[in-house]
Amino acid sequence: MSTQFVQAVWGGVLFGSVYGLMALGLTLVWGAVRLLNLAHGALFVVGAYAAYWVVSFLHLPILVALPFGVLAAAAFAYLMHIIFIRPVIGKPGFDNSTLVATVGISIAVSAAALLIFNPQYKVVPPVLSGSTIVAGVQITYQGLLVIGTSLALFAIVYAFLTYTRLGMAIRAVSQQTEAASLMSIPVVQTYGIVIAISGGLAGLAGVLLSPSFFLSPNSGFNPMIQALIVTIFGGLGSVRGALVAGFVLGVFESFVEVFYGVGWAQPGVFILIILMLIVRPNGLFGIGEVKRL
Amino acid sequence: MSVGGVVTAAPSRPEVDYAAAPWQRVPIYVIGGTVVAGILLPLVLTRISIGDYLITLLILFFMQAVVAQSWNLIMGYGGIYSFAQVALFAVGGWTTAVLAHSLGWNPFIAMLFAPVVALLAAVGIGLPTLRLRGVYVVLLTLAFHELARVFAVTGPRFISGGGYGLVSVPTFQFGNVIGQQRTIYLYYLAMVIFVIATFVIWRVIHSPLGVAVTALRDSETYGVSRGINQFRIRLILFAISAFFTGLAGGYMTHYNGGISTSVFDFSRLIDLLAMIVIGGWGTFAGPILGAAIIIGLDQYLVAIGDYRALFEGLILAVIAVFAPQGLWPVIRKTYDKYLGPEQQPAPAPASAAAHAETRNEDLK
Amino acid sequence: MLEVKGLVAGYAGSEVLQGIDLVVHDREGVIVLGPNGHGKTTLLRAITGLLPPSAGQVLLNGKDITRWRPDVIAAAGVVHIPQGDLLFPEMTVLENLVMGAYNRATWSERNVRLGHVYELFPWLKERGGQLARTLSGGERRMLALGRGLMSKAQILLIDEPSLGLAPLTTQQIYASIQTVKESGMSLLLADENANHVAGLADRVYLLETGMLVREGPADELLRDKALLESYLG
Repeated sequence: MSTQFVQAVWGGVLFGSVYGLMALGLTLVWGAVRLLNLAHGALFVVGAYAAYWVVSFLHLPILVALPFGVLAAAAFAYLMHIIFIRPVIGKPGFDNSTLVATVGISIAVSAAALLIFNPQYKVVPPVLSGSTIVAGVQITYQGLLVIGTSLALFAIVYAFLTYTRLGMAIRAVSQQTEAASLMSIPVVQTYGIVIAISGGLAGLAGVLLSPSFFLSPNSGFNPMIQALIVTIFGGLGSVRGALVAGFVLGVFESFVEVFYGVGWAQPGVFILIILMLIVRPNGLFGIGEVKRL
Repeated sequence: MSVGGVVTAAPSRPEVDYAAAPWQRVPIYVIGGTVVAGILLPLVLTRISIGDYLITLLILFFMQAVVAQSWNLIMGYGGIYSFAQVALFAVGGWTTAVLAHSLGWNPFIAMLFAPVVALLAAVGIGLPTLRLRGVYVVLLTLAFHELARVFAVTGPRFISGGGYGLVSVPTFQFGNVIGQQRTIYLYYLAMVIFVIATFVIWRVIHSPLGVAVTALRDSETYGVSRGINQFRIRLILFAISAFFTGLAGGYMTHYNGGISTSVFDFSRLIDLLAMIVIGGWGTFAGPILGAAIIIGLDQYLVAIGDYRALFEGLILAVIAVFAPQGLWPVIRKTYDKYLGPEQQPAPAPASAAAHAETRNEDLK
Repeated sequence: MLEVKGLVAGYAGSEVLQGIDLVVHDREGVIVLGPNGHGKTTLLRAITGLLPPSAGQVLLNGKDITRWRPDVIAAAGVVHIPQGDLLFPEMTVLENLVMGAYNRATWSERNVRLGHVYELFPWLKERGGQLARTLSGGERRMLALGRGLMSKAQILLIDEPSLGLAPLTTQQIYASIQTVKESGMSLLLADENANHVAGLADRVYLLETGMLVREGPADELLRDKALLESYLG
């Protein structure tokens, strides 16, 4: 097996896990709240910087910083829900307001990160360091951790949604909001929970990924764009769609990059998604649009 | 008022022509007065010490107001969540830069091509994108923004200038005029562009097309039931918006003598968004007001440096949620309440009919 | 047990209900009859919180529930089986039923409650794994009914149970509702025709353009064919 091929596969699986992780939160929120959260990248940044702060200023190990980052991002997301999303739920201007509000929050978070920490790239220590060589390709242990965590999280989230009372409530709210409230499910409260969970997921992605890509105030933007692409490709609101699409796009991008060069990766993905939107606008596993509140 | 025809007579196309010309809505002396003031203003300003700075601010205001109005036309009126505005500005700017810089064309001629290429690019993006619903438009236009940016940075030399953009692009030459007099001519050119764009956008908003768009925005089912072709209308609006945005881009390139990749910075997008949101989303005068505010505060905003983005982001979020209509409607209401003559309440037939539609469905 | 006083409700500046007064006593079956478009659905939605009323009161056992959120009203035992079923399309039959018992009080005993529902509709048990959106019209109706029964309802509000159903299925549905009623459940049923409701009804209201124009004991009103025809056509 050629080194290039292995490199492409490794890159693809790694990218795929990363994209999937980012997309998972985004798709959950869309499914439940019908909210396009353009502050998702900001949550990534909040998680990463929170972990960095714990490591650099509190001098605690990364294993402590990691859950801290996740919780910080989840809390921030919940706060965002309370202040900026809850007030406009059910109102006709919801889409406009939340679009602008999440963009504004995104910018504000970037700026705050810039002011609190400086613009220089920060180094967030990996949870696992070191690597090994397989078929001539460097396989980092942190990379394996990312892949493992991503797959584990998908499994956990899937189980949560399928078998737990709260998870089923979230699915119910996503599919038929009025009926859900008739089942005595507190819909708005459920929204808040989903948003907090998605924040936590984004924060986790932030903490795990930052060691591989240097952390700066604008680090959240690209992962969010990728997440958006994956979410749409996989089907808005579909968890398994996010997983599959993440890997499909990750592998595709990796192969294009390895065999055709970096410059073609983005346009390649762009073309792929346009094709998908033409052939099958709902994405891989998208269901038709269902009634919202 | 034939606006009632939209609801009751059921013609296949809504008729509105009573306000198609601005001077039938706003008193003509107000418009005339403003135009005259605009013409005389630089002559007055050159007499004061900071006059030159103010004139350059006004030029900036004119161009930003054009782009803000164009973006508001598709987002506020059309409900098209496009983030390609800055990229289209860049397309216009780069077109004229390349024509003038590499091919040696006269800037005035080159500038005329900027809006055309921007329009073509917009149609190119619009064809696959505008058939799709809101969230897809966001994604695809964001993707276009990124693609354009990457292309501008890493593209062939005659475009990317080695990654920084094109510098030493020829600027406008008005005969042998230099200095302050030249600035005044630049001002008039900018003003002409602003007036034309504003006038066209006014006409579009108050034309049958504009009414159709507002009807669609308020209730898709109503609009479609009236036979309004959503895709075609969106494409037309998108093209018009791109046209003027590209034109502004072309002007600014020659005004600045170059165009750099910093034009893709998100801060530009945020500034424009702030103009629309603070000024009045979906209103005619809103973006103009917003542009005036942002440009007017420019000096102070620059002074606070990195805090600027923080405040802008927070203000955007707060206004979007707690005062989504923006500043202009507030001003308008205050004016009507205290200063305006007795006015007939303007009916909103499109929205009322839309609600009627929903109500009928729910009653069954 | 359920009292509605002077209820006014509607949509976007136009009131559909013009001041409704009605009462449902314990174990009573009350039918609201009216043609389409006259406010039956609006009435039920206003009572169960899906539509905030502009004026008036809804009282449950004396408690004012008018402005309560729909999920709180449902938790209090006012169960709405809505028009169009509003099932969870991507959930299975079993999952839909289980969601009916979401409330903490019922969740722990959901398996017991499932048993009761299966007695009423045995086929639900066999086809538990089928996706709700693949069911036929009649099956959906039964599932919706079953789902509503999974909760600890004090009163069932049912919106047009026979809408869009074939005659045989219609009979089945009404028979099931009757069984439920006979077990002691209070009922507020909104319907378009009076054909099948005789066994269920203790009292009847006639609804016309948002107002209740007649009220009376079921055996009296339902027997008056001429009256009914002039109302329901």
